[in-house]
Amino acid sequence: MSDKAEVTQVQVQEAVGVHHDEHEEHPQHGFWRTYIFSTDHKMIGMQYGFCGLAFLFFGFCLIAMMRWSMAYDGEPIPFVGPILEALLGSGVAPGGVMQPELYNVFGAMHGTIMVFMGIVPAAFAAFGNYVVPLQIGAVDMAFPRVNMASFWAFFFGCVVMTVSFFIPGGAAQAGWTSYSPLATVIPTDGQTYWLIGMVLLITSSLLGAVNFLATIINMRAPGMTWLRLPFFVWAQFITAFLLLLAFPPLEAAGILQLMDRVLETSFFLPTGLVVGGQDVDVSGGGSPLLWQHLFWFLAHPEVYVLILPGMGIVAEIIANNTRKPIWGYKFLVGSVVVLGFIAFIVWAHHMYMTGMGTVISAFFQTTTLLISIPSVIILTCLLISLWGGSIRFNTPMLFALAFLPMFGIGGLTGLPLGFNFSDVALHDSYYVIAHFHYVVAPGTIFAIFAGVYYWFPKMTGRKMSEFWGKVHFWLSLIFMNLIFMPMFAQGMAGMSRRMSDGGATYSLANPDNADVTVGAFSDTIMGMNVSISAAAWAMLVAQVPFIINLFRSVKYGEKIESDNPWQATTLEWETPTPPPHGNFIKEIKVYRDPYEYSVPGAKKDFSPQAQPAK
Amino acid sequence: MEIPYTVKPRPDTGLYNAKLGIWLFLASEVMLFGALFSSYVLLRVGAVPGTWSMGLMDIMVGAGNTMVLIASSMFIVLAWAQLKQGNLAGYKKWKWATIACAVLFLVVKWSYEWPTKFKHYDIWLSSTVELHKKLEQGYHLVAEKHARESHQEGEDAGSHGGLAKHYVEEEIFTKRFFKEPSGDSHKAFDVAWEQGTLALSGHINSYEEAQINVRISGWKADAGVSEVDAEKTLARFGAGDPAKLRKQGGLLLEKTDYDTAKRVEYALGQAGFTLALGVAGYTEKTKEEEGAAWVWRTKRVAEDIGGQPRVRSIIVSLDHSHHQKIKVETKHIKRLSAFEPKHSTFFGIYYTITGLHAAHVFGGIIVMLYNMLPIGLSMWHKDRERFTNRIETFGLFWHFVDLVWIFLFPILYIL
Repeated sequence: MSDKAEVTQVQVQEAVGVHHDEHEEHPQHGFWRTYIFSTDHKMIGMQYGFCGLAFLFFGFCLIAMMRWSMAYDGEPIPFVGPILEALLGSGVAPGGVMQPELYNVFGAMHGTIMVFMGIVPAAFAAFGNYVVPLQIGAVDMAFPRVNMASFWAFFFGCVVMTVSFFIPGGAAQAGWTSYSPLATVIPTDGQTYWLIGMVLLITSSLLGAVNFLATIINMRAPGMTWLRLPFFVWAQFITAFLLLLAFPPLEAAGILQLMDRVLETSFFLPTGLVVGGQDVDVSGGGSPLLWQHLFWFLAHPEVYVLILPGMGIVAEIIANNTRKPIWGYKFLVGSVVVLGFIAFIVWAHHMYMTGMGTVISAFFQTTTLLISIPSVIILTCLLISLWGGSIRFNTPMLFALAFLPMFGIGGLTGLPLGFNFSDVALHDSYYVIAHFHYVVAPGTIFAIFAGVYYWFPKMTGRKMSEFWGKVHFWLSLIFMNLIFMPMFAQGMAGMSRRMSDGGATYSLANPDNADVTVGAFSDTIMGMNVSISAAAWAMLVAQVPFIINLFRSVKYGEKIESDNPWQATTLEWETPTPPPHGNFIKEIKVYRDPYEYSVPGAKKDFSPQAQPAK
Repeated sequence: MEIPYTVKPRPDTGLYNAKLGIWLFLASEVMLFGALFSSYVLLRVGAVPGTWSMGLMDIMVGAGNTMVLIASSMFIVLAWAQLKQGNLAGYKKWKWATIACAVLFLVVKWSYEWPTKFKHYDIWLSSTVELHKKLEQGYHLVAEKHARESHQEGEDAGSHGGLAKHYVEEEIFTKRFFKEPSGDSHKAFDVAWEQGTLALSGHINSYEEAQINVRISGWKADAGVSEVDAEKTLARFGAGDPAKLRKQGGLLLEKTDYDTAKRVEYALGQAGFTLALGVAGYTEKTKEEEGAAWVWRTKRVAEDIGGQPRVRSIIVSLDHSHHQKIKVETKHIKRLSAFEPKHSTFFGIYYTITGLHAAHVFGGIIVMLYNMLPIGLSMWHKDRERFTNRIETFGLFWHFVDLVWIFLFPILYIL
């Protein structure tokens, strides 16, 4: 330990001793209370972060296997094929060959895992838990035990989802959207597990959202006014509102579909439903469209739940590494609030093809285009913030910088999907896949990486390796684009997103396999299946430096000399490193705006929020 | 470390944490029930006229329960007010009153409202001709009597042949699905009558169930059970000469009931035997004989046993027919269902929303009991203000649960 670190530790002990009265819990908890059943927001944040990253990796592995099926349909998957057969049975993976049923299972679970068990916990819950209380100068979350309950509800939701892979028939197969009647009439139990898992995950998010909102509203340090909140906190605040108000309708939908599956009701089953040539013994009278409305009422705001925390992280890092205030802070805040409102009235743009009517389509098309305004404002502010800065190109900054054009591509390619006339052609094709993956993969996931590299020193007292960080960044950036850019072409050629053989059967069904024939794909388009798959596997390998770097740096990383290694202004850097239970060892008072970098006349190029103004 | 504002409100927001938290939680609850209410609206608007059974709800019971919940909401405020005055005994008195109301609400729902519906069946027939015959048979007498009474009051009874039809429309169909007669109700009834989508509605009094002959048709030596063990298993089920039965096959049980036959089939199947079940005849059973409640399912009733249905016919005492019993043969039954969730989207949404509401009431009772036990009350002795706040936050939740019911009652019982 360096002298500095020792001093910090001593200060902690003294401070804890001074501030503790007898009735308070003792700082020395056992292993279980410290690492497993912790009520400390930082430990819970790291628990979420660990689980979230693990599930992101797991979800990625699922798609890596699916990509084999798309590129080399009918051939056994190398290395993992026998494992699949041993784990899931020869019914779904005979001789290591992925069957279409297994492809469906992996497809549904890839979406579910990435969205609900990967990005939401990693971007919202992990960074939110760890950073938000620190940035607003709070000792902990408003409800520490609710916080723990939230994590454990999440954990059990994940257990249910994971276990469902191994039940007879496997996990859910009806896509992450679980459209009824398909999801209801599939005879295996995977969908029921999915619904129970979702109810647990939703409960977790609701508890978390209440906690975040109460914390941000009621626990801000003296002087931390609303317009002094770092943009990350604002982004988390709006995200929490989206979760709080958008998730319950999905919970309602989940309950109704559970009723349909378990008690044989017909909420989503129309009259006269025939499955496999047989009349289904149900009352009918339900509405498949109702599921889609309830589902997308959550799932569209969910898109903003996925992206807003990422934007928040990127804003923090850009301000810090350009050494100047974020350009248009108030525009950012206003935009994120407006975005939060409009996010609730755009959901049916996922449903242009359902025949819900032109008037409704026109309404949702209008709101969808409206919502691009605040998104563009946010992106523009972040872009202009770079202007005239003396930029430090460290690993977190590289990821943050890459976020801007990548999210830009994702956002702009969404416009043709927002117009219902062009969506009719692109709906359910690889174009859609490419569009939203540009938003969440090189968008949010890059922001998550940026956040990990940026806040890692605060969590551990050590930096992650810059060299391996840069290797990780450049490889990820290259392969990310090699994966998703060709998908735009495939989608515009008309390739559906649901085909386990990468469209081969569909293409061959047309005898005249000419380049421009509708229904058949050219060799170029089909060949992209192989190149995309290769890029995906290379992407998987490119994560190895990150994983090793992450674990190795906990012990062997370069020690940081000060509590504020990035010379940042926000309050999380006012704590000892790592922050003790209760976070701050001195009284925290806020005197400044969040990003006072390079203030004219100041001695240093950053003026922390807690530093009194002269 | 101490979390600020757990007891005293934060000056600039005017709220202590828990109060803020409960309001946020209630906002999410509004969205949860809001989604279910929206689903109700969408399903109801999309329902085929003549399938939304809102007329079956007992308004008086619902109104009574509404009053009980409103009273409980008042009692919880009184309990909180007593705490504000430092009076724990007064708190306990009003809190018990709140709990009593909550329990009464659930008792009415779970031991009266729901169970009576579970015993009431609708039976849809596959043949329109058969349906008309059964309705005529069931309602002929009561319709005639009704017509005579109406006639004395000076109304036109209509033609003799359409009496039962007329009665079913006016006294049953319209009241159940439309409450008041109208052009719509008339049109819906005509469609239901012509297309045969009307249901026979009533209680199932008795039924004819198969008596089953269980016959051994073979035994496989490769099933992993030794001859001796297989014969022992046979003997357990009353075989006279197990060895002979095993080798040559033959009748094992004669005219046994369904449950026994199925149990034997399973056990002997495990021991390597192949069995043939056949119907020897039918015997009439009443509910009392049956003992445990028989949950009627279309598939169960029509289950195939050696080419014959498990149940040949059911005897139904029709609603509003002065206990007229009619016999419905299984082969004519298209679908049957009690007034349970799967009956129709109306009952589906009814049970889902009231069930979710009841779960909230139940959760509330658990929390209230906790705050009456020494473990919950210990906070009062440590920090009075905090305990009082806790009851206040609970009261907010309780008011919300009450408010949900106040919206539920009209949409499910009255409108």
